[in-house]
Amino acid sequence: MNAPDRYERFVVPEGTKKVSYERDTKIVNAASFTIEREDHTIGNILRMQLHRDPNVLFAGYKLPHPLQYKILVRIHTTSQSSPSQAYRQGIEDLDKELQYLKKAFEEEKIRYEEKQRLSY
Amino acid sequence: MDQRRSVSDLFNPLRPESNRNPPLYPSLIPKTLISLPKRGQNPSGAQKPPAMETTVSYQRFPKVRIREMKDEYCKFELRETDASMANALRRVMIAEVPTVAIDLVEIEVNSSVLNDEFIAHRLGLIPLTSDNAMRMRFSRDCDSCDGDGQCEFCSVEFHLNVCCDSDQTLDVTSADLRSAEASVIPVDLAVKALAMESSSTSYEAAEQRGIIIVKLRRGQELRLRAIARKGIGKDHAKWSPAATVTFMYEPDIHINEDLMETLSLDEKRAWIESSPTKVFDLDPNTGQVVVVDPEAYTYDDEVIKKAEAMGKPGLVEINAKEDSFIFTVESTGAIKASQLVLNAIDVLRQKLDAVRLQDAEENDFSELKAHLG
Repeated sequence: MNAPDRYERFVVPEGTKKVSYERDTKIVNAASFTIEREDHTIGNILRMQLHRDPNVLFAGYKLPHPLQYKILVRIHTTSQSSPSQAYRQGIEDLDKELQYLKKAFEEEKIRYEEKQRLSY
Repeated sequence: MDQRRSVSDLFNPLRPESNRNPPLYPSLIPKTLISLPKRGQNPSGAQKPPAMETTVSYQRFPKVRIREMKDEYCKFELRETDASMANALRRVMIAEVPTVAIDLVEIEVNSSVLNDEFIAHRLGLIPLTSDNAMRMRFSRDCDSCDGDGQCEFCSVEFHLNVCCDSDQTLDVTSADLRSAEASVIPVDLAVKALAMESSSTSYEAAEQRGIIIVKLRRGQELRLRAIARKGIGKDHAKWSPAATVTFMYEPDIHINEDLMETLSLDEKRAWIESSPTKVFDLDPNTGQVVVVDPEAYTYDDEVIKKAEAMGKPGLVEINAKEDSFIFTVESTGAIKASQLVLNAIDVLRQKLDAVRLQDAEENDFSELKAHLG
């Protein structure tokens, strides 16, 4: 009866930004990003991708509460980089990886279908 | 220790001035002073840390090998990526790849034994062919129909009109649903039509009678109008195109042959039998233990425990390959299993695109200002 609407899990409310960014007040080159309406799917791949960047000293994410449909990503980098740069780089690399994976899967699919045809 | 003492001494008023330590690393201070104005000199506002940006990339190049592929089933290997990517793909396949399912039901007549809600729910769970779902609009952001979900871009209308006038019970099935669009029909009918067309061996599919919605007795009637919409599994499981999606780490099994040879034939047999799944077997000719099916291993550790119990620890070493996954994808039939994987990649890319930092300059600028201030 008082259950929240199901679409609230993936529709960003009007007037809210999908990604907001807040610098850490005490540490240089540290910041936390709040990503609205996302979960472990994005949080975990982004975290693992950030770990591949040697300029990232710390990268972690959390889903604060199962009924708060947002994640917090915290990034701390060396002075050679900045959290927003590392973040952008992470997204970019993941996107390219998926682009590559899609091509690889399509090619493999064609190759497999060809093989099946020949065996008949 | 020393450093800490010197710091506390700094604040000790009793300490004579002359004894106070000079700055620990005098070289540090001028350096910082020099580097700060250097950043400020960049008048464009865009702070560009040295020579990064486009040159460096930490991208991976995953490899794929398809083992088996049918319309509703696909098994493939994914290598050279990590568990987070494999899991993201699995999660997206289950909950975020869109399909079409009945969402709105207007019942005109229902004199069946099931109540209206019950029937509406059953209708929703019938999988519909959703090859066009990626191109359709969600009715909530469809401009051409004010979101009431009755336009060609975001919805498909179905009609059902069945009345029983014989003494036998009449089955109302998915075959009785009349679709307004030929490309969106119950999956079982599409499969049946395909089987009839090829008129070959798939006798089984052609014999299917459709998914039963309700059974009617003499005089009972069901008449309704239903609207199918695009949706995702996160909203309701009826929109999930995946029956099951799983992945496992590929196991890496090493038998210590020297130690294995110290076992008698009976001991070997007993050890092989200790595995709940058939991973190992005995070569009938050489009497050696061989790995017949590494993927049957369920990471249950039974063979390792057995080896220890037999007083032969280290008989076998089994590790999971951290960057190698075996995926099993089963689809409900709404879309082909291979298409499900491709759609999942697309959806994940769209998600990543949505979480890009929008106000790039503003962020860099605030970073710069913070450095200066």
